[in-house]
Amino acid sequence: MNEKKTAWALLTTFFRFGWKNKRSRIFLLFSLIPVLLLLLVKIMQTARPASFTSAADLFSNIMLIFYFQLLIPVLALFFGSSVINDEIDNKTLVYLTVRPVPRWLVFTGKYVAYLLVMGLITFLGLVLSFLIANFDLLASAESWRQLLTYLAAALLAITAYSGLFALLASFMRKSILIGLFFVFGWESIVQYFPGTTQKFTIIHFVKSLLPYAPQKSGFLIFQLEPSPVFSSVLVLMLFSLITLIAAAIVFQKKEYILSDSN
Amino acid sequence: MSAVIQAEKLCKWYGNILGVSDINLEIQPGIKGLLGPNGAGKSTFLKLAAGQLKPSIGWVRIFGEKTFANHRIYSRIGFCPEHDSFYPDMTGWQFIFFMARLHGAASPRRAGEMTEKALATVGLTDKKDFLIKTYSFGMRQRLRLSSSLVHEPELLFLDEPLRGIDPLWRIKIIRLIKEYEKAGKTIIVSSHVLSEIEAMTSDIILIHQGRVFAQGNIHYIRGLIDAHPHQISIRSNRPRQLAEKLVRLENVLSVELDEATATLIIKTNQRDQLFDFLTRFLAENDIEVDEITSPDDNLQAVFDYLIGR
Repeated sequence: MNEKKTAWALLTTFFRFGWKNKRSRIFLLFSLIPVLLLLLVKIMQTARPASFTSAADLFSNIMLIFYFQLLIPVLALFFGSSVINDEIDNKTLVYLTVRPVPRWLVFTGKYVAYLLVMGLITFLGLVLSFLIANFDLLASAESWRQLLTYLAAALLAITAYSGLFALLASFMRKSILIGLFFVFGWESIVQYFPGTTQKFTIIHFVKSLLPYAPQKSGFLIFQLEPSPVFSSVLVLMLFSLITLIAAAIVFQKKEYILSDSN
Repeated sequence: MSAVIQAEKLCKWYGNILGVSDINLEIQPGIKGLLGPNGAGKSTFLKLAAGQLKPSIGWVRIFGEKTFANHRIYSRIGFCPEHDSFYPDMTGWQFIFFMARLHGAASPRRAGEMTEKALATVGLTDKKDFLIKTYSFGMRQRLRLSSSLVHEPELLFLDEPLRGIDPLWRIKIIRLIKEYEKAGKTIIVSSHVLSEIEAMTSDIILIHQGRVFAQGNIHYIRGLIDAHPHQISIRSNRPRQLAEKLVRLENVLSVELDEATATLIIKTNQRDQLFDFLTRFLAENDIEVDEITSPDDNLQAVFDYLIGR
């Protein structure tokens, strides 16, 4: 059996159907909200330059709040969990597990397909936002370097979050609830804790990669104490790798009981 | 001839609920009918055999290999599940093509040929480009069958394959299963309808409450059924006259009259003879019958008789 061929079949099929499904369309529309907002600001800024925050500043804030703290974790939660959950809930798992393909390969093929779908949804909004916000600075190499940094940070964040949520889904049915608590509870609060505590969040390492440091002032006492870029990249990559390998092993060995057995 | 499937002390529990218990059997090539009422454990056994469930105790082997999560055996096995589940946004062709590719078809062209053949086998060629969500239940059932046939396996597990199929396709699928057997392949087919199994094979396994109750030739189960009393319910315009006549018959064990509904409940241990007599007697005496039913015709009642409830 040629595993490359079956992996390619899994990847292309699940990418096509992942990209076309209703959930992707909703997330795609959601990811375009900042684009419209920036477009509006850019137009108004052109009309009355002194009255508005610059679109470039707004871009960095939108990146952090909208994409990295909201869209990416939620997108990763729904797509990461659905790699396994959809197959169990829709009872389609049996069609994949009665084929001469190792289960870990089924998981990996579908995960990579969904990673590409998540990447496309995020990158599309992110690149369009960048182009609008930095319309006057497109000739600057520094702007493009920043865009690449944002894209790389987004990819690492998507991989880390979706790896974690895929792992949760591999051994528990109600993983979405735990995931929601993680995103809106743990990640939202613990990232502001002082010292090393904030390093128990994914967002800490993602924020450490972003070109713009968050503002020092604010109603919260504790702020980001960034980790070095290299160690942040390493932590995110290792975290993704470990969660994905663990999820693949669980999926390979676990018995999934589709209801109505008699 | 070596056994295709072997099971020893096979047990499966879903928490506190029994799936199957202490199953010991060897299945030889050919068609084997798995017969039992709903909830008997047929699907659990098929899923255990097809490696979809892990045994709680004991083991099951196919072609000498353990089955759970053993992907190597699946190039030789086809499994048609009972669940009416699909990827609804795929067309029939895309679904079967995907399955063919997972079986390692040498090229997309080869996968396409396999797909066309599998769809033609179940008569879905003209509907192949329709989304699965637009298919009728019967068409989805045929598509499921097609997904299990696409790689032409040596061993085929069919879980209630005739459920929801129209009469014409029922005949065609039964013929297809028999042709598969003639080609030297093994088919394990489950059903809770005795006549469906009878149309395909005389070699059956009876499952009830998670246990193999009996196995062998279907005439054996027919004999068991015939040896036990059957109930026949008759609603007529002259129930008393009919009851008087029936109580004198040797093959009638008891007769009860429900005056309110003018219904007789007759117990007999020779059902066929009694029906012959009734046909003659009712015609000769011009007795009108509103309804004759046999509450025992469902398989659950037959099993209840056999286990002596």
